[in-house]
Amino acid sequence: MKRRVAVTGLGIISPCGNNIDDFSLNLMAGKSGVRRISSAYSSLLSVKIAAEVDFNPFNYFTKRQVSSMDRVNQFALAAASQAWKDSEPSLDAKEKERAGVYIGSGMGGGNTIEDLYDQLFKHNADRVKPLTVLMVMNNASASHISIEYGLSGPCLTLSTACASSANAIGEAFRQIRDGYVDVMLAGGAEAFLTYGSFRSWESLRVLAGEDPDDSSKSCKPFSKNRSGLVLGEGAAVVVLEEMERAIHRGALLHAEIVGYGSTSDAFHMTRPSFEGQARAMSEALKEAGLLPEDIDYINAHGTATQWNDLLETQAIKKVFGDYACNVPVSSTKSMHGHTMGAAGAIEFIVSLLAIKNQAVPPTINLDQPDPECDLDYVPNIGRKGVKVNTVMSNSFGFGGTNAVLIVRKMEE
Amino acid sequence: MSTTLERLKQLFIAKFDFNIEELKPTTTLEYLGLDSLDMVEFMFDIENEFHIKIPDQEFKVTTIQEIVDAVDRFISEQRIGVSSDKHS
Repeated sequence: MKRRVAVTGLGIISPCGNNIDDFSLNLMAGKSGVRRISSAYSSLLSVKIAAEVDFNPFNYFTKRQVSSMDRVNQFALAAASQAWKDSEPSLDAKEKERAGVYIGSGMGGGNTIEDLYDQLFKHNADRVKPLTVLMVMNNASASHISIEYGLSGPCLTLSTACASSANAIGEAFRQIRDGYVDVMLAGGAEAFLTYGSFRSWESLRVLAGEDPDDSSKSCKPFSKNRSGLVLGEGAAVVVLEEMERAIHRGALLHAEIVGYGSTSDAFHMTRPSFEGQARAMSEALKEAGLLPEDIDYINAHGTATQWNDLLETQAIKKVFGDYACNVPVSSTKSMHGHTMGAAGAIEFIVSLLAIKNQAVPPTINLDQPDPECDLDYVPNIGRKGVKVNTVMSNSFGFGGTNAVLIVRKMEE
Repeated sequence: MSTTLERLKQLFIAKFDFNIEELKPTTTLEYLGLDSLDMVEFMFDIENEFHIKIPDQEFKVTTIQEIVDAVDRFISEQRIGVSSDKHS
């Protein structure tokens, strides 16, 4: 019999709050973390908005740590620290060998690489920051977490663009379920709101225009007037633990992970395929032994691009059939933006909070219904006091990677 | 007290979380808990501050005074900085 996996710790650094309570309150209140960007280059950019994290690293780390970590590593370690404290897994030396770290990130140390090029090409530097290699490498976040907590099992970095951290959590779930390890810190981090990144995304023509009346309302998933995604940054990390161990030590059980679907469209680098997305949802349901009717809420990928929102709607309809119109589906990216490699983990936490609060967060800025996006997207106002026992979280990445997670409330 | 030592102390404080009282000429890097990676980073800051180049393999130091001596030596050898004595 396969082992069961509990979520026993949560941590978050996000544009909507740097702890679970603030994040939860802001999301349910429909409060947006999208605002005008603070970049020194903002006057050069046509994109004017992003979902930035308000983060002073010196509140979290020593000077030495700050100097040796890219912003993305700082986010990851800060989120892991919250999750670790929340869970308090208290592992002995032997148990630490059966504990690992899986972190997803699309771009790794993007700030560092941009600083490097700035020094080299703009200032003609003949020498660069000595720790550059260790800050740019994409596995630095996972390694910092592994070192901090002495976790000496598998330590991997998953990079599947915007599905990265959903894949990290799903694969970590399987590591425990299949008996390789007993405890995993899993999640993701992204911090790539740099000049080069903004320029690159601008050129791809997928970014939202600024709302003329209110910058914070620029991300409009599933709305007829949606104009694209809003770049974000952040991190989320959870502690996953083998169920019997977690129960035995009296851990706080936030929820149980019951399903994970992982597919590839094998089709196109940017254009999604609803068949690939639908297969990922179906696989997750099958693994969980659930029917579509068992899902009480779907946290959508919901990027607010024309293609994503249309095709994700079609994919949900394909899997959920007639029930599709009865299940609330919301895109919290309308508030925390598209946090790229961190998105899957941040939205996995949204899913857990929906269960914890028995409440569904809204899709804000949904003012113009799109006839082709005709599901219940929980427009503008969150719903409290509703039954939320089982939640599906969708994450889809450029390159055609699809990752779907299902969490279920712990039985009383 | 040499200017090199004072400037070095300021570099230490800017980079790490030390109190200035901990930074005596005889203080060892081991006592401060600085490992090889910390020192690679710190050497970069020292090079910037004193406008010197520290050649690979030529910075074998264990105390703050030894760093001061090495820096003064590189300054005089490389003749691109001003000897710390003149600032005393």
